[in-house]
Amino acid sequence: MDKLIDDEMLVAQFQSGRQNAFDELMKRYKSKIFSYLLRSVRNYEDAEDITIEVFFKAYRALDNWQPKAKFSTWLYKIASNLAIDYHRTKVRHPVYALEDMEIPEAHLVATDLHSDPVQQVEDQERGRIIREAVDQLSPKQKAVFMLSRYEGLQLKEVAETLDMAEGTVKIHLHRAVKRLQTLLRPLWENNEI
Amino acid sequence: MPKCIKSGGQAIDYAAKLLSPEEEEPFEEHLKNCLDCTEAVQSFRTVLQLTDQAQAELRVPELALQDIEMNVYKRLAAAHEQTLLSRVRASIANFGSLFRGPRIAIASAIAIALITVALLMGNLFRSESVPPLPETYSAVARIEQYRQQDIQRNLEEALITHHLRNDAWDTESRLYRMKEQADGTNWMAVADAHLQNLQSGTLDTP
Ligand SMILES: [Zn+2]
Repeated sequence: MDKLIDDEMLVAQFQSGRQNAFDELMKRYKSKIFSYLLRSVRNYEDAEDITIEVFFKAYRALDNWQPKAKFSTWLYKIASNLAIDYHRTKVRHPVYALEDMEIPEAHLVATDLHSDPVQQVEDQERGRIIREAVDQLSPKQKAVFMLSRYEGLQLKEVAETLDMAEGTVKIHLHRAVKRLQTLLRPLWENNEI
Repeated sequence: MPKCIKSGGQAIDYAAKLLSPEEEEPFEEHLKNCLDCTEAVQSFRTVLQLTDQAQAELRVPELALQDIEMNVYKRLAAAHEQTLLSRVRASIANFGSLFRGPRIAIASAIAIALITVALLMGNLFRSESVPPLPETYSAVARIEQYRQQDIQRNLEEALITHHLRNDAWDTESRLYRMKEQADGTNWMAVADAHLQNLQSGTLDTP
């Protein structure tokens, strides 16, 4: 698609009444936002619902949007806030957390038909254990970790997205990596992952 | 013995490639003589490698992305209807409190039902009592547009099925599905014509 028209230009077009501009923005970001949320909430249906909610909120707020930051940063901000809310609700209702453990991840993971099925099961199991470790991070640690590692955001952009000082972002990131080290190291030292 | 002070944050930043070139070079120099930091970097790298791999396995299938736009517009339209309904409820509640008695309650319940139906069928309140919300009206228009696209897609699929597989049953059920979707539009006649041709064996592909 013609990335010649940048996001902020599309927003301006939308604000002056061109509906299609919003469609173009959704087309550009739906996959990114969906993957980000899938990694964050690790539940397919919830990730989809929150993705829809992100664009719903964006649509309604876009009229008053001002280009202080990049459009994408703003979109990630909406998504991050919703993901953090989601995790908070989950903590308050531990029943859901239990249910989530039972959700088979198989359909989330792209499988390769040509590889050895036993190996595949082992790989999936390893992936699941590691993703569960990431789930144990605090919501903010998790958000910082995901945004900086997988969404290609600079620390400065992560800071804008999460309304934090850049130094705070670093602290969260360091804590996240150290926590993951504490959780995963015994497993890889015992060849369990 | 306490560990080297750099084996914490600096080692993580180095493993995650977050150090600037000016910071990176002296740290690499330091690594040559510091076992603590060398071990730390190695361990953090393993952490990042494992998590990167585990995250890369999670993928959103194309199919799931197909309906996102449609659902966003549906969500917008639903929110719009809710706004209208809550305004109606509020105004009727005010009206109801002026009178007392069960008859009034029943009457206002009926009124709510009637107004709700009217609202859902056509935008009764567009002109006066509710100020228009332009963004959601266009959302409704957009849903209609997506419906039309869906109808056309089903028609295309029906014809492709007919052409490629010559599967009359499948073609027919697709055409019926399209007709159902097309309820109230001119596309219904198109569906009927295709169904007739299919049944008489004269359905041609474009
Ligand atoms: Zn050191």
